[in-house]
Amino acid sequence: MTNSNSAPEPTVRRRDFLRGSLGLGAAAALAGCGFSGDTPAPAASTSPSGSAAPSESPAAKAVIDGDLVYFNWAEYIEPTVLEGFKKEYGVKVIETNYDTYPGMLAKMSSGNQYDVVLPGARFVEQLRNQNMIQRIDKAQLKNANQSFGWGSYFDNPWYDPNSDYSIPFSMYTTGIAYRKDKITTMTGSWADLWNEEGKGHIYVLDEADEAMGMAALLLGLDVNTANPDDLAKIKDKLISQKPYLRAYSTDDINNLAGGNAWIHQEWSGDFLNFINYTAEDPKIWEYIAPKEGMPVNSDAWVIPANAPHPGTALVFLDYLLRPENIIKNIEYLGYPLLAQGGEATYAKMVEGRPSLAIDLKNIDDTKVYRNHTPADTAARDTVWTEVKAS
Amino acid sequence: MAATTIATEAKTTHSTSRRRRSVEGKPFFAVAFTALFFVLLYVPIVVVILFSFNSKKSLSVFGGFSNRWYVQFFNDEGLQSSLRASLMIASIAMVGALLLGTMLALALERVSSRPARAVGTVSLVPLVTPEIVTGVAALLFFTGLGLKLSLVTVIIAEITFSISYVAVIVRGRLSSMSGEVEEAARDLGCTSWQALRFVTLPTIMPALIAAGLLVFALVFDDFVLAFFTTGVDPQPLSVRIYSEIRLTISPAINAVGTCMLAVSVLLVALSLVIPRLFGRKDSSLDLISGG
Amino acid sequence: MSTDLQDAVAATLPGAKRQSATRTRLWGWLLLPPAAWMIVFFVSSILIVVALSFGTVNANGRPAFGTSLANYQALMNTTYLTVFIRSLVYSVTTVVLCMFIGYPVAYAIALHGGKYKNALIAALVIPFFASYLIRMYAWSTLLSDEGLVNQALHTVGFTDGVQFLNTPGAVVAGLVYGFVVFMILPIYASLERMDIALIEAGKDLYHSPLRTFFAVTVPATRAGVLGGVLLVFLPALGDFVSAQLLGGPSTFMIGNLIQQQFFESQNQPLGSALTVVLMLALLVFMVFYLRATQRQNRET
Repeated sequence: MTNSNSAPEPTVRRRDFLRGSLGLGAAAALAGCGFSGDTPAPAASTSPSGSAAPSESPAAKAVIDGDLVYFNWAEYIEPTVLEGFKKEYGVKVIETNYDTYPGMLAKMSSGNQYDVVLPGARFVEQLRNQNMIQRIDKAQLKNANQSFGWGSYFDNPWYDPNSDYSIPFSMYTTGIAYRKDKITTMTGSWADLWNEEGKGHIYVLDEADEAMGMAALLLGLDVNTANPDDLAKIKDKLISQKPYLRAYSTDDINNLAGGNAWIHQEWSGDFLNFINYTAEDPKIWEYIAPKEGMPVNSDAWVIPANAPHPGTALVFLDYLLRPENIIKNIEYLGYPLLAQGGEATYAKMVEGRPSLAIDLKNIDDTKVYRNHTPADTAARDTVWTEVKAS
Repeated sequence: MAATTIATEAKTTHSTSRRRRSVEGKPFFAVAFTALFFVLLYVPIVVVILFSFNSKKSLSVFGGFSNRWYVQFFNDEGLQSSLRASLMIASIAMVGALLLGTMLALALERVSSRPARAVGTVSLVPLVTPEIVTGVAALLFFTGLGLKLSLVTVIIAEITFSISYVAVIVRGRLSSMSGEVEEAARDLGCTSWQALRFVTLPTIMPALIAAGLLVFALVFDDFVLAFFTTGVDPQPLSVRIYSEIRLTISPAINAVGTCMLAVSVLLVALSLVIPRLFGRKDSSLDLISGG
Repeated sequence: MSTDLQDAVAATLPGAKRQSATRTRLWGWLLLPPAAWMIVFFVSSILIVVALSFGTVNANGRPAFGTSLANYQALMNTTYLTVFIRSLVYSVTTVVLCMFIGYPVAYAIALHGGKYKNALIAALVIPFFASYLIRMYAWSTLLSDEGLVNQALHTVGFTDGVQFLNTPGAVVAGLVYGFVVFMILPIYASLERMDIALIEAGKDLYHSPLRTFFAVTVPATRAGVLGGVLLVFLPALGDFVSAQLLGGPSTFMIGNLIQQQFFESQNQPLGSALTVVLMLALLVFMVFYLRATQRQNRET
């Protein structure tokens, strides 16, 4: 596929932002709370259904009840899909963007009211536990059968039992991208990131979860381990890698395009995006699904408990689940959307590259990144800091 | 004290200090080195300007002239609102820093009590503090008070760290201006306030212009402080640039860079021209370089 | 009105002090607003950093004030010492390079610029107002493995090319590029203030331009050089942008460490502790600088 793809080219890719280093994270995370250490109060009083714990209140009905206040990554929905929604239902879409998940959390906690938000899986769990999102009544969605009931893993995902509070949207895996014309000694394992031929041209993702997860899988450990012995082994493994590395970077598309990278720990969606839109010669690039396993992550739509127009939100989610919209979004994003209508589209996009194929019925959820206790988070974080600083 | 003041005065007003004859014999090394330095300094500038007109979406292959990136820049609502935000922040910060910095400079130059000297020293600290420290301090200050981060917090932070520049530049000008002219005015019946308005301020006007333009340019380009203190949309342009650079291949960035360069050329030219409109011979650049 | 009369009378008395009471009072009032601003927004913000360095992260992952020394204890770790020493090495190298680059440039402009002096200073200053980030981005595309510079090297025979980026050298080069103007301007200023007759006299005395340079010019511009050193060294020590854009896997500086704690690890108390340590280091160097300039002031 050449660069002349007719779909509008997304200039911003979601995955590029999935690291906390863009400033808005901590900044917004601290806003509006001082350092009292209190849990942010769920804005229960402003929920349209009033009264007790918002998650218990009767779910909204799928009727338009105002404009859509939309909170998401930038350019994460195909533009004509959004336009189509505005025209068909005669509502405005008021869009704000976040560029880190912690930033998203903070804005939601500081009293801002949104109708739909798209958190990552881990954060859906956090939002549920903090009673910040409302139950979604599937019966309200005519197209619910696109997402549910056909055997997808996401009928009952790890972060939201029975997907009661969320509608799954997209997912990605993490593997290795490499240049066939420069490297001939790949073995299909995470150990390829220590490849001699590629020494000095290898990149690892600058994210604690991804780097440590990769080392954990290579060592046969759990990707989420916080066991001190495990962590020590992971740390040594990562430090042993440094002489081979060019850099830690999440700029995985630019690194491939710039010619500095011959082997790159890579997000599946970004790889697809790169070869479809940017690569000068897509044929020299290959993507490996390492045999020790690939980390898997996903995101899902939620409706905040204090949403001003939950009815419109439901209509919007239903609209997104129409097969034609699913297809448009997949082509725009390059990620497999977690809906039946899109499987064929995605399969066609990754034709000839089986390592990018995703089977929604068989998701290995031992490889997802989960939430940790504060102590475990600190322990893992110390390892990452020490690796980067050494 | 008076003697050295007079000597300094003589120097600054005497023409030889401005049009000194050069040292005999031009050392080849220094001149050639300087030429090489300027070439290296301007290489990325040339690259940025050239590739801002690139018809291809590439940063290493030039495909021919096109203004598509400028069109994209001017049509990009996000970049435009960031540009407006940055211009607003820089303007307000310039005014605030000028006001407070000038007050500080005037006070420090004329008052020699210990508290005044302490304030003077403290006001110089931001000049030598790494931006990460000032960024962290500003971030924690606002969030510790439970304030939401916004353009206001960015402006407050920028003013705080620009006051030092204004104070240094204005003090430089004040110290070479003796207090005797003010004294003369007051002997002739002016109040302190009138002496300030009609004598001191006009005399330091070039310094104010230089300091104002410097602050505007520094704040407009400042990235670190804005990075830490920006909360909600729209982000200042420098933070947007940082995000774009780290995440995408963005030739439109070259268009942005060229525009910023044009603005800075304009500002520097202004700083040279405006003092001459006031009939002053010394240039504001002297004040920046001498500050 | 009566105060002005007082002034007029005071001014005519023999030995009247240059600063009359009212005059000091006006300037005193002028001191209040900026002083108040600095105290509220600067001093107290630094104090909050110090205070939070004794804090902890609570169960919800949010920072909280406290009285724990845990953060400082965590810093007593060879990893952090490595980062600190690395930052020192990079900063000192940057200062030295800035001096060797900046002095000749300042010298050439000040003493040989003639009527182009202002234009040259303007040409020096303009790029620094055109976004450091964009300029470094341009350099990084030029110097990338398949960028223009390496393409040129290929054509003249270096088939392997040179890796310019993601190295400590690239980080230092980025620091020099960003800070050299802060070395040039103070040196230029002190060269301008220097009496040129001194150089002529020195030439007569030493009969060699080089000896004159080191025996006369350099000492006379010591204040400028010291000022430049301060303006470059201290900010460079805490820099993080250069290492982030141009660095490799082992070029982490203190600034990067602090940024990581604040934005990736969300551990603001630890980040604050790091910031405090950095500030203390800066304070030590500041004191050295002040002592050095005081010594110089006493000598002149």
